[in-house]
Amino acid sequence: MKQTRERKVADQPKLEMTPMIDVVFLLLIFFIVTLKQEDILARLDVNRPSADQSSEPPKVDLLEIVVYDEERLGGEGFSFRGRAVSLEYLEKRLRRIGQYSSTISVVIKCEPDSRHENLVQLLDVCAAAGLKNLSVFSL
Amino acid sequence: MSKRGRHEGEGQIDMTPMIDVVFQLIIFFIVAITMQKQFNPEIELPNAPRGREIIGDNPRTFIVEVNRRGWISIHGAQLTRDKLRQIMIRRYDRYGQFPVLIRGDLNTKHSDIQSVMQICANAGLWKVSFVAIKEKKT
Repeated sequence: MKQTRERKVADQPKLEMTPMIDVVFLLLIFFIVTLKQEDILARLDVNRPSADQSSEPPKVDLLEIVVYDEERLGGEGFSFRGRAVSLEYLEKRLRRIGQYSSTISVVIKCEPDSRHENLVQLLDVCAAAGLKNLSVFSL
Repeated sequence: MSKRGRHEGEGQIDMTPMIDVVFQLIIFFIVAITMQKQFNPEIELPNAPRGREIIGDNPRTFIVEVNRRGWISIHGAQLTRDKLRQIMIRRYDRYGQFPVLIRGDLNTKHSDIQSVMQICANAGLWKVSFVAIKEKKT
């Protein structure tokens, strides 16, 4: 029994494996070199309510945060109710507000010179606080 | 002619060239697909670890890239703000509301982002989203 099987195997022409292995290794190297895991991205939704007309936000009871250029004016680039505040302070405040209402309007006013990063940081804090009604205005 | 149709022995078919071709094809497709997806690599996205994760690919999503100098591009092709305005208005007329994602560099001035948002708002799109990095890999 064993003998016949061995003979059968020997009769079959051999499949040349070496080139295939070469190619597979090349592929492997190719993937290792080129593989770069993609970053997980987040989206931060905002409203842009002004379509040309009144670029002024309505005067209701809203939270208003100003984002400015921290290199020019010092501080951390955020001001809340007229005074410069840190991002940690804002986070604490917004978290408390977010606990009882997540639909409260937050108005973010950005100075033209402010960096985009500051706005995104603020939006991140708002997202952490669960606030969803965010509007971005430009000063 | 006389040899036509006559099998020349029953030797095993050589698989190696076929496998080579198949792998070449695979490489071609993988490279082509990743190239298609590539965005402007010089844009450094800001971090937002607690933002909502982008799940899946909505084919209607319109992605505008703004680099640190304020230049805007779509799928790596740079364009003027007038051109973007035209595209936005035409697209809005045809499809109605569609999601807009803005990929802004972290050092971009707000005035440059503002102009893009303004173009969107003028076209009738009052909701935009900013793209940020939730989790950085490598």
